[in-house]
Amino acid sequence: MSKLALALAVAVLFPLGGTAFAGDVYLPGEKPKGDFGNFASVFLENHCFDCHDDETSEGNLNLLELGKVDETNAAVWKSIWAQVALEEMPPKKKKQPAVVDRLRFSDWIIGELAREMKDKGGFHAHKDPNKGNFLNHDLLFGPLPEGIRLQPTSSPARIWRVTPQEHITRLNELINLEPAYNPEKPGLRTRGDFVPTNHGGELKMYFGTDRIIKWEGGTVAYATAVKSVPVVLSSARKHGLENYPDFYSVNSSEATRILDKAEDILRFMAYGPLSLVGFPEQITDDPKTWDKVKPKGDLRGLPTAIVYNTKVSRPITPVYELMKEPNFTDENLGSAVNYVFEAVTFRPPSPKESDEYLKIVKDSIDKVGKENGVFMGLSAIFLDRDALFRPELGQGSKPDEYGRVILRDWELGLALNHALSYVRPDQELRKAVMEGRMRTREDVERELARMLEDEGLRKPRVLRFFRDFFDYDLGGYICKDNAALARTGVSSRGTSHYRAMFDATASTDRLIELILEKDKDVLKELLTTRQVVATGADKSYFGKKNSKLERDEALQAIKKAEEERLHDQTVAVETIEKEIEDLESKFHGESGYQVPLELLVNGSFSKVTFEEPDHWELEKGTLNQTELANGKVVGERGAVTLEQKFSKPIASKTKLIVKATRTDSSSNPIFFKAIWDNGSHSERIHPTIGQVELIVPDGKTMTGIQFNTRANLGVSEVSLREYTGVLKTLTQKRKSLAAAQKKLAQSKKNKGKTGNASVTQANLNGPRIYARVSRRSFGNGSMKPERTLATAPEGQRLGLLTHPSWLVSHSDAMDNHAILRGRWIREKLLGGGIPDVPITVDAMLPDEPNTSLRERMRVTREKYCWTCHEKMDPLGLPFETYNHAGLFRTTELDKPVDTSGEIIDSGDPALDGPVANAMEMIEKLAASERVEQVFVRHAFRFWMGRNETLNDAVVLQAAHKAYRASGGSMKALLSSLLTSDAFLYRKVER
Amino acid sequence: MLQGVAAGFGAALGGGLAPGLAHAAPRVGSAPKRVIFFLQNQGFDPATAIPAGMKNSGSLAKAKLPEPIEALEPYKERMQIINGLHGTHTSPSHSPFFGALGGYRGGDGVAPSASTIDYELSKVLPETLLPHLCVGMDSIENMKAKPTVANLSASGAGQPIFMHSNPNHLYEMLYGGISEGDIRKQHEARSGMFDRIELLARSKGNGLPESDKQRYGQYVQGFNDINVLRDRLGSVSAHLRKFAPEVDDGYANPEYETDWHDRILDLGISALKSGITSVLTIGSGRGEIFGAWKGLGVEQQGHNLGHMKQPNNPIWVKIRQYNSRMLVKLMEELDSVPEGSGTMMDNTLIVYTSNNADYQHTSGKNWPVILLGNYDGAFKTGCFTQLDGKRPINALYASILRASGVECDRFNMSEQLAAKFDSGTGPLKEILT
Repeated sequence: MSKLALALAVAVLFPLGGTAFAGDVYLPGEKPKGDFGNFASVFLENHCFDCHDDETSEGNLNLLELGKVDETNAAVWKSIWAQVALEEMPPKKKKQPAVVDRLRFSDWIIGELAREMKDKGGFHAHKDPNKGNFLNHDLLFGPLPEGIRLQPTSSPARIWRVTPQEHITRLNELINLEPAYNPEKPGLRTRGDFVPTNHGGELKMYFGTDRIIKWEGGTVAYATAVKSVPVVLSSARKHGLENYPDFYSVNSSEATRILDKAEDILRFMAYGPLSLVGFPEQITDDPKTWDKVKPKGDLRGLPTAIVYNTKVSRPITPVYELMKEPNFTDENLGSAVNYVFEAVTFRPPSPKESDEYLKIVKDSIDKVGKENGVFMGLSAIFLDRDALFRPELGQGSKPDEYGRVILRDWELGLALNHALSYVRPDQELRKAVMEGRMRTREDVERELARMLEDEGLRKPRVLRFFRDFFDYDLGGYICKDNAALARTGVSSRGTSHYRAMFDATASTDRLIELILEKDKDVLKELLTTRQVVATGADKSYFGKKNSKLERDEALQAIKKAEEERLHDQTVAVETIEKEIEDLESKFHGESGYQVPLELLVNGSFSKVTFEEPDHWELEKGTLNQTELANGKVVGERGAVTLEQKFSKPIASKTKLIVKATRTDSSSNPIFFKAIWDNGSHSERIHPTIGQVELIVPDGKTMTGIQFNTRANLGVSEVSLREYTGVLKTLTQKRKSLAAAQKKLAQSKKNKGKTGNASVTQANLNGPRIYARVSRRSFGNGSMKPERTLATAPEGQRLGLLTHPSWLVSHSDAMDNHAILRGRWIREKLLGGGIPDVPITVDAMLPDEPNTSLRERMRVTREKYCWTCHEKMDPLGLPFETYNHAGLFRTTELDKPVDTSGEIIDSGDPALDGPVANAMEMIEKLAASERVEQVFVRHAFRFWMGRNETLNDAVVLQAAHKAYRASGGSMKALLSSLLTSDAFLYRKVER
Repeated sequence: MLQGVAAGFGAALGGGLAPGLAHAAPRVGSAPKRVIFFLQNQGFDPATAIPAGMKNSGSLAKAKLPEPIEALEPYKERMQIINGLHGTHTSPSHSPFFGALGGYRGGDGVAPSASTIDYELSKVLPETLLPHLCVGMDSIENMKAKPTVANLSASGAGQPIFMHSNPNHLYEMLYGGISEGDIRKQHEARSGMFDRIELLARSKGNGLPESDKQRYGQYVQGFNDINVLRDRLGSVSAHLRKFAPEVDDGYANPEYETDWHDRILDLGISALKSGITSVLTIGSGRGEIFGAWKGLGVEQQGHNLGHMKQPNNPIWVKIRQYNSRMLVKLMEELDSVPEGSGTMMDNTLIVYTSNNADYQHTSGKNWPVILLGNYDGAFKTGCFTQLDGKRPINALYASILRASGVECDRFNMSEQLAAKFDSGTGPLKEILT
């Protein structure tokens, strides 16, 4: 149809220039009226053809021939929807459609795209949380224009697939007893917290690691030998909210893997580490008993390299009870079924469900016997719909006048539980559901208030919201170019940067929790806090990248410090040497005559200085001293007893020092017994670190010493002398001397290699706190929970957006990602929307080494790009204050770094205007009411699992009001959202 | 054991049937191609792959293969030795795990950041019942305690694919329908259970809102796929019976780990020959830095093997010779099955390399590879190809994808990374015909 013909047709139908339904009241959510001919084409004619017809075709787009929505033009219609919804089109200078017309046109496109794409993968863009802001902020929080009538809100009836993290936390509950909440160390891993990712950032569940008391080999050997299961359910999250009900299903691959792992879990529930080991002897509290019988050879990396203690650290459940006896009864089978069902679905099974699964288990037992049948049959429960999807269908309730049903009983109980927790409802909530006290808004208010006040009831979902909102947990997954990373000033060795980033995520988690504990001006605090939860590595990450001048000065300072250190260490060595000399001389003088420094009762058993017997007494056989010295013993080696009698007995109460060293390479300790004057022996004495203090008991004298184990054949030197304080001091001094000499040698070796002149480290002292890290996943190289609560350097950091965890999460391999950072500010704080990048755009910055990012971003300032990029770039470039590892800097490429930016068209004129740097911008944003409102919108999306609609305006305004009235309390915000109609009511979409 | 089904293949079950059976439905080209990745852990020292004195690209005709791979001497005209690829971007010291087949940074405890080449190929090669089968060989203790691990293959970011290491489980999965005794009982019990799960899942889908039916339908369909797979495997049991290995005592009572290694290989070969799968990934050492080969008389095991120099090392000669015998067996077996005007091997590519580049503590500057088979004429054979060390393993994977009919210039490498790590674009012209 030509433009003229179409225009005439429209003019005839709608001579006034409005839409066909202009007179109607607009009810958000209603099914759009009209078709292309009598509705959409009118809008296009009135607002689009001026620039997009066969004559002008702005942006190379001609809408004249577009026609109704179909598969081939769906992408164009989607783009039109985005431009119109975001009010990008018509351009500001052109006549704008009425608000209602714009909304109707947007609804119409969505409706048509959904209809047309129904069997072609569907149309989901409008449900994407990143497009939630396509709904004008002012319509939600400002006065509504004429002609709009809101409807009481509700969310769609739905099933909600559990997230990977929820799922693994749920399964972890079956095999690991997590520690109870400890108010003294509130950051530590606690029951109810999510399962953290491991040292490499992988989400895994570990079997029995809390019982490991010994393993062979290093960190990698440990990681290989322990049993762990990676997460099964998939998630496509990169940035933004992870989990809407619409997002995910469970595919056949995931289902079979769940079944596979379910059997592993069930076996562990039944047998504990016995299900992991090759030999039962590996489970012992004394690893030496395993050493005696373990297979020979290098066991590193093998399950046999691990020793588990006997302490039970898994839940003892009906599965254990069922499997501890060879037989079974219907009753204990049923208990196991019911237990597993509730553990994986969080609710008790109905009698029908219980019967169904009992039958599956029994059938399996019939076919393959009890042992395999129980595990096979019970594993089926892990695939129950409600173990993987949480239903919110409104079952059992009657629709109200608007067709909405209120959730009740388990659906409501589990919805509330899920709003805060990853583990099953606590006893009180369970009881409330069972007693029919989870059916009303008041019921939710009551339980929610209780749960929010209970610190011991962990709320990982709240933390997850902040992860999704801020996107600070992605830094460890950004693959850095090693050379580019080294230039930032942090270590680029091995995996240290990635480890630091995973640590940083845990640290930021903890900082957020600390702010949530205060629950005061939460968003503002998050944006402006100067507090830092830090590891040792953070001294660099929160440090300052030095300018050239500073670097030169630092080099000089390092050189000077090295020289001073060398000098001090040399002096220290000399001082100790002198002290030893003095002590030795004093020691010699104490007895009045020269005595050997150490009173040897035997040397290598061939040079006894105190007394030299001709031969050694043995229980069996004869020991020739020469043979002994050569390590050969005649006789039965296992029964050798070496005994040395003293020429002069040692009096009672004498305090002795006995030292024993060995010639061979064995690490076995040397034991001995004292021989008393009545011929009896003392208990076996075990010198620690080769030395022990011994007091001859009252009433006894010591006449000799005896070694009587085979392992002691390596004894080369035994010294025994009366204890004197001087000797002890002397021993200590000799140790100190050895340590000082070692230090000095190390310093000489490292001369010129110490210090990092590139970075001025941050002073991050403060009290010890803890962050939540994974179970031991990498031997001694596992993540450590210890942290410091410190204050960031003055004038360099302000809030989470200036922390390395956030900055690196919004960076790329080579540099900062100013566009991503700007987009985050635009969407998460200002409530603006960014259309998808047109597929025709080759979104690449030029590869120009030694050129600043700002300079390379000149390409985004071309007219075609700038329409979108002006919404992002000026908001992201102020973060050039930091380099791409998150270090503060004042120069870039040896020139002063340009940190200027601008807030453009924010929707709040008071915010708009240039900013000098990130901190100035953050301060402005943190003080903005609009920013608060946008935060509330994101909280709504997270907890309702959907984008807000106009009908949700009442809920959003109430939530924001609650937040403000409470002085910025997250609890108040949550209370408002979770007792709203949007949370409580469901409506079946027909 | 059906639990292994998804553990051993990608995210979706194939709908086709064995080539040679009625439903074969190639997705690309006409020849039913197949690819085998054989990754020995601890590195592949080029001195144990390249004939002595050979520095430049050229024919292998007059060259003598090094002792560790001398078993391949009769197959020189079907092989190409490639030296000079790199994997520096994969952080390969101590193995990049998924990064070896993904061509991206990996490491112990690091989740896959994208799909791997074997999975991608399984999507584009002629559709089979199990598009992708992964098997792993390790010490007997590890194979028993952890019969499935996921270290090498992935169907996407954060989506590892498990590899099978217990031949009994693998046998039940592939041939449960034609098995006897305990394996048969397990198979039947599991089949019954899966039918019930599907019924239960289906019944709980009744009454769901329209918008959720499709999503939940995918879940139910997954069970349907699994059950259909079992049915299909059952329905072609007469065909499968021709290829299924005989279950001997080595399955239940292995003396050495190599008894299981051999049987796992047999099962892999049978899956290829019967047309059940078109992509086989073999992880000898399962992508980690341990592993054992006591059955070869190698008493040492694990990490120390990686600390040894491989050339002229009797231990590594034994392991590599064992690999070579396996490669020969793969080729002979595939050669024994006629296909088109030639044999299965004519349409096959075997990629033999290490998941650990050239040695265990490597920077990845060199990543030697041996290709066996010409993949229906796509790859050069009978030659040694020396590259300049400036193209990444990703380029090899892109080349295989190209030869499989996929238009791609890069595999898992952004232009930004390529600017640093790849001197070229598109496939490796040097290795293709």
